[in-house]
Amino acid sequence: MPDVTIRDLTIEYSSGGYAVRPFDHFNLELQTGQLVLLLGASGCGKTTLLSVLSSLLTPTSGTVHVGETEVTGLTGAALTEYRQRGVGVIFQGFNLIPSLTALENVEVPMRSAGRSRKEARARAEELLAMVGLEDRVGHRPGAMSGGQQQRVSIARALALDPPLVVADEPTASLDYIQVDAVIRHLRDLASPGRIVVISTHDERLLPLADRVVELTPRAILDQRPPERQELASGEELFHQGDPGTLVYEVDEGSIEIVRELADGAGEEILQIVEPGGYFGELAPMFGLQRAATARAGAAPAVVTAYTLRDFRGRRGSEVLGAAEGTDDVSIDPRT
Amino acid sequence: MWLISLRDLQYRYRRFLIAIAVTALVFGIAVAIDGIKQTLQREPADLVASFDADTWVVRQGSSGLFTTNAVLPASVVATLRETAGVRSAEPVVTGRTTVLTGKRENVNLLGYDLRRGGPEIVEGRAAAGDREVVVGDGLDVALGDRLATTSGVFRVVGRADGSRYNGGAPTMFLTVKGAQRVSVDGLPLVMGVAVQGRPETLPKGTSLATNSRAVEDLRLTIKSATATIDFVALLTWLIAAGVIGAIVYLTAIERTRDFAVLRATGSPKRLVVGGLMIQSLVVALVAAILAVPLAFVLRIGMPLPVTLSGGSMIRIVIVGIVVGVLASLAAVRRAITTDPALAFGGV
Repeated sequence: MPDVTIRDLTIEYSSGGYAVRPFDHFNLELQTGQLVLLLGASGCGKTTLLSVLSSLLTPTSGTVHVGETEVTGLTGAALTEYRQRGVGVIFQGFNLIPSLTALENVEVPMRSAGRSRKEARARAEELLAMVGLEDRVGHRPGAMSGGQQQRVSIARALALDPPLVVADEPTASLDYIQVDAVIRHLRDLASPGRIVVISTHDERLLPLADRVVELTPRAILDQRPPERQELASGEELFHQGDPGTLVYEVDEGSIEIVRELADGAGEEILQIVEPGGYFGELAPMFGLQRAATARAGAAPAVVTAYTLRDFRGRRGSEVLGAAEGTDDVSIDPRT
Repeated sequence: MWLISLRDLQYRYRRFLIAIAVTALVFGIAVAIDGIKQTLQREPADLVASFDADTWVVRQGSSGLFTTNAVLPASVVATLRETAGVRSAEPVVTGRTTVLTGKRENVNLLGYDLRRGGPEIVEGRAAAGDREVVVGDGLDVALGDRLATTSGVFRVVGRADGSRYNGGAPTMFLTVKGAQRVSVDGLPLVMGVAVQGRPETLPKGTSLATNSRAVEDLRLTIKSATATIDFVALLTWLIAAGVIGAIVYLTAIERTRDFAVLRATGSPKRLVVGGLMIQSLVVALVAAILAVPLAFVLRIGMPLPVTLSGGSMIRIVIVGIVVGVLASLAAVRRAITTDPALAFGGV
């Protein structure tokens, strides 16, 4: 039975002229029968990873194997075959074809794969009955609720019984009543012979998961004493794309905040933080990766690292998200 | 993919109906003007054929007898009648005049003895006196009417079938003598002789013109008109392609997410391309079929006779297929360049 193996996955793209690397030598192994949650904040790369697993996006480097199939190297007929039979996709916005009925939407992948009309119809009816929509087969998406549309989308993803099913924020567009049925069906999908990968930031799904992959670290709010760090000239404190848990205040010397440019065009200095200044608070506050690299300037530097809680206590209303005065805070969003 | 395309046509039926209606009208106009061209092309052949001549004798160097000012002495007719190989030889005098009564209209003038051949008289009799005429189609006069022209007043004694030429202009048939009075000031001159048989010798200063050459000669006068009609017809095809192309392209823009989903779920490009072409072809073909009855309606308002043949109908269907395929190209390009990863976009 196929497992999923991701090796040294690097994905880089340009955003506003800067190089963005949501995955940098990322490794992951998933076992058959698992329901895997990709958890993380918006923009952390959840959908990008699903796109690679679905063979809709070619990574910058690295490999993805689904069973024996090297997904990242597929082209032409092999690519079409993989998209038809290797992976089923459940989209956040349902993405049903509005002119087709529920039944016809489920039939489409099977007809595209060359199944007869009769066979496709029988299988589509079976799948729609499985997701509890046997009485809605003749309805168009516009006449169905969001939850019903998502269940049709689940049925469509299963049409050719793929060994891998990926779901992108499947509950994002649903209210709590609709979520219930969708969650139950997603749970049932993971069975021997199939892996289900769901990207979400909906923590209601956590109890479903056999495995949770956190793509961004959670903010560390527990107590930890401030730590003084000495940096040699040019030494990096953290790198663009690293997880961020601490906020730094400059005691001596200066810290350069630099961002890598796209296409290997070097880097740009965004800011130089002098003694008394601070940086790096957004990453721990919002669970983001570092959006820039911090390193000592021309001279050695000394910084003190604080947890977010300590830093708020120290700087009070200066810090975004503190109890008082948040409306007046001016903060550099680049770090 | 047939299903998706046809369902989408149903789903967006209002816009496609508008596209079909506009395209059918454009196609109908194209069929009608093509029918006018066919009429103009056919008239010379019908006219020449109606004389039932085997050959024509014209002045040497002349391209034909219907459009020329080159004349022959009338005595060549008698000479030809005596020539071996000739069964009959009838003089023809041509000219143009303008009708003054009712709407002013330019008409052809032919001096020919209709008792000896030429277009069939469907009502009345052939002209016998110099001031008698037989009129062809297109002149709104009755037997016994007096027809005032810039060449004098004539009494209508008969009606002949068809006989339009020079771009649909109607024709008045006079006696040879009457036509000579109008066209060559009563001199004994003719523009040509319709001959049955094949003369073994020709009178000096004359040459033979075949029926084909006589037809070509007549068609010279409408060459620019038919070329203009061809150009306008091409424009109508382009307009039709533009109408269908715009509608199908707009639909393709709206369906970008659908294409991304289809590609993401493994639909091959050829199916996506085929689906769009089918839509375009359905619109074009339905419009082409509707254009046929529309052309019959449009014919009523056309000042010139419109020939609607089976060939026109087949041609419009073929044009419909070509227009449909061409019209879908922009939409096809958009569909096949759609990034399937777009399917992962949010709501």
